[in-house]
Amino acid sequence: MPDSTMADALPRDLAEQRFARLYRDNARGVLGYALRRCADPEDAADVVAETFLAAWRRLGEVPAGEEGRLWLYGTARLVVANQQRGERRRSRLAEQLRAELRRRLPAEMPPDPTGIVEALAALEEDDRELLMLVGWEELTPAQAARVLGITPLAARSRLHRARRRLRARLAESEASDSREIELEAKEAGR
Amino acid sequence: MKTHELDRELKAANPLPWQVLATLGIAAAEAELGEAIVAEPVGAGAEAEAGAASHPRRPRRTLLALAGGLAALTAIVILLLSGGTQDGATRAYSADLVRFAEASPLLLLEGPGWRVQNAVEENRREGIDGSIEFVTGKPIPYESITITGSSKAERESGMFPPAVRRRRVELFWRHGSLAEAISTQRSGLHPHGQRWIKLPVLDTTAAVDTRAESFVNQGGPGNRQMVAFWSESGYVLELRAAVPDQAAFEERLGWLTKVDSQAWLDAMPAKVVKAADHEAAVREMLKGIPVPSTFRPSQIPDEGLTTDRYQVGAKVTATVSCLWFLQWAEARRTGDRQAELEAEKAMATSRHWRILREMAKDGAYPETIWELAAEMPSGVWEWAGRRHPLLPRAESLGCARLGLPLLSRKQKLQRERGAPLPPR
Repeated sequence: MPDSTMADALPRDLAEQRFARLYRDNARGVLGYALRRCADPEDAADVVAETFLAAWRRLGEVPAGEEGRLWLYGTARLVVANQQRGERRRSRLAEQLRAELRRRLPAEMPPDPTGIVEALAALEEDDRELLMLVGWEELTPAQAARVLGITPLAARSRLHRARRRLRARLAESEASDSREIELEAKEAGR
Repeated sequence: MKTHELDRELKAANPLPWQVLATLGIAAAEAELGEAIVAEPVGAGAEAEAGAASHPRRPRRTLLALAGGLAALTAIVILLLSGGTQDGATRAYSADLVRFAEASPLLLLEGPGWRVQNAVEENRREGIDGSIEFVTGKPIPYESITITGSSKAERESGMFPPAVRRRRVELFWRHGSLAEAISTQRSGLHPHGQRWIKLPVLDTTAAVDTRAESFVNQGGPGNRQMVAFWSESGYVLELRAAVPDQAAFEERLGWLTKVDSQAWLDAMPAKVVKAADHEAAVREMLKGIPVPSTFRPSQIPDEGLTTDRYQVGAKVTATVSCLWFLQWAEARRTGDRQAELEAEKAMATSRHWRILREMAKDGAYPETIWELAAEMPSGVWEWAGRRHPLLPRAESLGCARLGLPLLSRKQKLQRERGAPLPPR
């Protein structure tokens, strides 16, 4: 699909108004999406910058309202994927946001007492992304389907499989922990 | 593990839940990024250049100006409206309402994801006093805190956890002396000591009590209560917030923005009754409420103030209750048993008044009316092992302010002098 420039699609004033509304309603949500997936908060700042720059340049394609949010998540997902493939770019636009995130975010991740985050990380990318969209971005399966570019039926079916795999990973992890504890007890008993 | 248990565990493991995300102090940096994006060229082609020529690039501040009329770059332009002008049309407000709006400081808290949850104003002798409650995330209900135990072993119950309390900011305004307001705050309970500092707010400087926690169980790391005092346009302003640290409080002060009356009124949520809707709201609230023959709808004050259903409900039920108590008191004085019973029977239905049942979710005012109704047949109320006449207690509904005083001047003086209980 060819890019449509903002100037072609909308008069400038209207475009700025439209973008302002899109940005104010979704910037924090997109940042949250990025922070939950990037190892480095500075990378998350760049994801936000690139995502909204894409939205500004292709404003005519961005749907209004709730669909616009899902469009942004879909775009952010592609930006994150590019970063993970090594196509990391430091956007000068996000310089101040990077600095602020370095200052404001806690230095350490919150504890993971149940091991579910670790189990999630061990899943295949598609399973993990779907579970995170539903569990952490709190999207419905139909909304997650829009982000991933699949049908709602496919999303529900994949979600069912992803949950099963996550359960299995958790069970493996618990069994492994139990074995380690037994081993430690034996070692201590010697 | 069942699916809902798995989902719950996964949700709980969210490394950055919304309530943490919403309180990150990055508003200025976000605004800067937004402006920088809009200033970027949209394409390298001739069409883009031609477009840019015919619409000269605006200064970077335009993004904020278009998005909400803000003048300050430090405040992010996110004003989420939960009611009002969703169709984008400008709503017309009555001249009375605009006049009363302009008599208030016209301040909003424009932080990302924050909105007005409630707003109350009252017309006092000195002028209009009021308060606005801003929240982010899910609505925060009425917090009812009970203290038990001694001062050395105090227990509070009913307080919301810090993560919830941090999602609310309250702004108060009243006429009076700033020095007096600060002095009153200094003399209040400070179980963790006091530490006052000065912080910038709008175009002035606020005196800030950074240890304003009044409960022993508050005040640990990341769990602070702070309050800022300053004066503006003849008002004493007070901003109260539970925050993790001083930086978060400074951020909230930075979000305060002066707006015009249109924007201020537009920001009021649907439940805040606007003057134009007052008559309809009163009519709806009166359904199912028996009223005495002396009742006229015009007796319910409509001061054209922005207020909420709870406040309107209180005025409606207080007016009706005061009129029934007036009939009841006169009937007892003259020996008109029929009129006395009529009033008691009418007030006994108050448990079923729909507006009171609605209000009971948000506050304790309905309980006052229900207790008065229950005590009407005996004519007395009991407290601390003693019986007291009921009429002075009923007066506390605000009957005199409504123009319906229950006590004559003589009775008031007798009450003040501690006169004995009159015989039935």
